[in-house]
Amino acid sequence: MTPAAALSGRRVLELADEKGLYCGKLLADMGADVIKIEPPGGDATRDIPPFWHDTPHPDHSLFFLYMNTSKRGVTLDITRPEGQVLFKQLAQTAHIIIETFEPGYLDGLGLGYRTLQEQNPGLVFTSITGFGQTGPYKSFKSSDLVANALAGTMYITGEADDPPVVLAGAQANMMASTCAAASSMIALFRSTVSGKGQQVDISVEETNVSASHVCGVGRWLDDRFIPRRMGAALLACTPSGTYPCKDGLVYLIVNRVLHWKALAQWIHEVTGNEIVLDPMFEGPSANRQPNRDLLDVYVSELTSRFTVAEMYHEGQRRHLAVTPVNTAAAVVADPHLAARNYFLAVEHPEMGSLRYPGAPYRHTETPWAISRPAPRVGEHNEEIYCGELGLAQQTLRGFVERGVI
Amino acid sequence: MADALDGIRVIEFAYGMAGPWIGRFMAYCGAEVIRVETKKRPDVTRQYIPPWAPEMAMQSQLSPWLTDWNAGKRCIALDLTQPKAVELAKRIAARCDVVVENYSTGVIDKLGLGYSQLKQAKPDIVMLSTTGYGDSGPGARYVTWGPNVEVLSGLSTLSGFPERGCTVTQYAYPDAVGALHGLFAVMCALDYRLRTGEGQYINLSQYEATVGVIGHVMMEYLANGREPQRRGNRSLHAAPHGCYRCQGDDRWCVITVRSEAEWECFCRVVSRPDWTADPRFATLSARLKHAEELDRLIEEWTASRTDYEVMAALQEAGIAAGVVQNVEDQVRRDRQLAARGFFEEIEHVKKGKVMATGIPLGLTGTPGHTGRAGAAMGQDNEYVFGEVLGMTPEEIQNCIEAGAIETADEQ
Repeated sequence: MTPAAALSGRRVLELADEKGLYCGKLLADMGADVIKIEPPGGDATRDIPPFWHDTPHPDHSLFFLYMNTSKRGVTLDITRPEGQVLFKQLAQTAHIIIETFEPGYLDGLGLGYRTLQEQNPGLVFTSITGFGQTGPYKSFKSSDLVANALAGTMYITGEADDPPVVLAGAQANMMASTCAAASSMIALFRSTVSGKGQQVDISVEETNVSASHVCGVGRWLDDRFIPRRMGAALLACTPSGTYPCKDGLVYLIVNRVLHWKALAQWIHEVTGNEIVLDPMFEGPSANRQPNRDLLDVYVSELTSRFTVAEMYHEGQRRHLAVTPVNTAAAVVADPHLAARNYFLAVEHPEMGSLRYPGAPYRHTETPWAISRPAPRVGEHNEEIYCGELGLAQQTLRGFVERGVI
Repeated sequence: MADALDGIRVIEFAYGMAGPWIGRFMAYCGAEVIRVETKKRPDVTRQYIPPWAPEMAMQSQLSPWLTDWNAGKRCIALDLTQPKAVELAKRIAARCDVVVENYSTGVIDKLGLGYSQLKQAKPDIVMLSTTGYGDSGPGARYVTWGPNVEVLSGLSTLSGFPERGCTVTQYAYPDAVGALHGLFAVMCALDYRLRTGEGQYINLSQYEATVGVIGHVMMEYLANGREPQRRGNRSLHAAPHGCYRCQGDDRWCVITVRSEAEWECFCRVVSRPDWTADPRFATLSARLKHAEELDRLIEEWTASRTDYEVMAALQEAGIAAGVVQNVEDQVRRDRQLAARGFFEEIEHVKKGKVMATGIPLGLTGTPGHTGRAGAAMGQDNEYVFGEVLGMTPEEIQNCIEAGAIETADEQ
């Protein structure tokens, strides 16, 4: 029997807040059976706005709906002895556990990696925290904003005269989650080969220092300069940045000697500019760097003659790296993504058909898929506790009444 | 000690960062990664003019990015326009588990090293192609660099302060997004192969992966038909939540307060217990409504203190706060990164010891490490062609004379 999904038969338990939800989603959309464990009554991330049709409800958070596709959901109070027994039973069936509690919290409940691996030596136990399981900041409070600050991503994002700024969508958490998913699969590979699992200690700070390494320590030590914010332009590429068209902005970046020649030729063709052809501007970007402002004027004279679409497609026809500066609406309407059927509709029992961003990668044998919408609070309690762990219906009802489930 | 990916071999046909960074991670975890290059089209990391000594001119082994993206790999040099070189690459692939490539769409197939060809050489090969747009659709052959993908995906328009039109990172964020999604996609395929014996082909569009990491922001448009608002450093469900100017030039500290208990602590730390009863700030909805005013008042407090002082005072009280660090701060003043030994000291072929950004995989059982940095193009020809392929020195010499294998020019 060939499974249709890459991670078919792999079980994951997820006890995660914003730091780890996308990690669970990556695994679930590749076919792992991800069981999301929420406290009785539902997780706090269900309250994150905005909501579907602006109707606040635990099942309507758009953030929650996106982050929890393809997962099953149960409720469980792991601080209660009965809850801990059930959790341990589930943990015995898991290949991977994802947790985002502060370091030591699960150990304190007797549910830490050391305890769980006794029953399940192959277990991959992935912990995602602000700063990691060790070190002087391990108990510091963190958030996406704090992680972006310490990790250096903020310092080099935005305009020179503005305060540093974060990217939309809590990218420090997204990067940590993506790294955690990759690392968990590396640890699972090792576990499958050797029978031995391990704890994966992900620090949100470290994953983002790493993600911004292009402006990082190697360059600083070698090139002796500290990268700073400089708007949409990149220091290493002249010209680069956003330029005005008749109806919006395009982004253009020159990264190769030939690209400059093609661009200069085009500027000359359209605007009659002779100076732009001067050989002093040719060669590597460093030659043009002192004249960045002047060249930006020349490029703007070209771009302002065209619409965004004209500039984009004609620029690309000339092998120049020109792209539209897209709004969300423009991304959803992009014919390129439409031709690739990127966005897809998923049926939700209450909300009907909802559209979602699609596959971040395309596998020929084991396609990425959203197998189900995000679970409602405790949606799979009966299926998992009674159907799989053999709990009697009556016992389940008792647990629900006492707030264990 | 064993590494997590011991016994896995990877061949890489890749330029820049988005492809090579995947191999960097795999090599760190113990995989043998064979990087194929050619002198006819040197990678950006081979065209480095040291700013500290421009008179040295182009240096192919000194770029810090060569370390960041390619440390720990075996480097060989092949002129893939020659059929003999393609045949050698195919013979190496036949002994590999994974192929990673990020040439422009269509190029690898034209060279005769596409998935259908490599699958014949190694039926269970896992191959990943990563490009800006993916391998179909009207943009399939369009040119992109990291920042292009950033603006294309909507990320730049959705990020930053409301009064700004577009916010772009200085670090080509989509390259990191694409590489880590690619690494995950490869590991999923390897897990599947481990259990079924089947390999497969993966095509990754950096554009689509980047839309994926802002998918939750996109949902506002997809479900409610509304363009999401730019919010700068603010939050819809926490206040204060911002970046505050501190003493000194371009020094800042961020603060996030997420509960009423934290808010009370915060007011104690900044010596304004009266704020908890102030109708402008007493509840979260009031604080959100008066965020501008609140931020101004907080900045009066932070502006007369250093960023590290502000962070220490607030963290001590259990409030999330962090200095907006630059790269020098990270190396010299971040006690956490230092205690965890995050930055790695690596042996460099030409420079002795160099420091590189760590690989943040956190594998406590099989930590991994980085091998040698700064290898010359073709430095490992002898090992790969001799030991991996078992060619005799004479056979190798013939291929060099025919121009299929390029010699390493410097060691």
